[in-house]
Amino acid sequence: MVKSERLQVEHVEPTPGSAWLVAIAAWFIPGSGHLMLKKWGRAAMMGGVVWLCFFLGLAMGGHMFDLSTGQGSSVWLQVPPMIANMGSGALYIVSWLLNIGFEDDPVQAARATYEYGNTFLLIAGLLNYLTVLDAFDIAAGRRS
Amino acid sequence: MRHFLVMCLFAAMASVVFGVMAKNTNRERWLYGVKIFAEFVVIGLVLAWILYFIPW
Repeated sequence: MVKSERLQVEHVEPTPGSAWLVAIAAWFIPGSGHLMLKKWGRAAMMGGVVWLCFFLGLAMGGHMFDLSTGQGSSVWLQVPPMIANMGSGALYIVSWLLNIGFEDDPVQAARATYEYGNTFLLIAGLLNYLTVLDAFDIAAGRRS
Repeated sequence: MRHFLVMCLFAAMASVVFGVMAKNTNRERWLYGVKIFAEFVVIGLVLAWILYFIPW
């Protein structure tokens, strides 16, 4: 490492603790991280999209994943989509507690929009992970 | 038709988040969001036609 690079590394600002708090809030309640940072437009657009995507997914009859549905080694196949679903934060937790969107209902699975609903629920979580990263970067001063 | 509309809805929501995150000025965000939306829709249609002709 040349001297100039070493100097650059030494001058990296440490991440403030509040940035982690913002990130956790942004994950738990989609849009709240940006609200804490007073980024009203971003909160409305990014958080709003996550909420809309989640409820559209539920309305289409989508199904969320947890570890209770698989058998044997297929339990591990539930982990990647479960991680995606968990990105929705409190929306996922409340739905899990109330057993909304988790029941295995053949009638629901036969709906034309069932797979779309699954996809919307997965995408809601994944988009919220992006929202969390954006809020964290803003809180850490890495972007405006 | 419903499938196409749902695909457009999905593309719109994803492109909003990508557009807001990716660029610095509002103009750049709009252009990037529209570009991402168009890419989702066009690639979705192309893939749909390719899959239509594949006899599974």
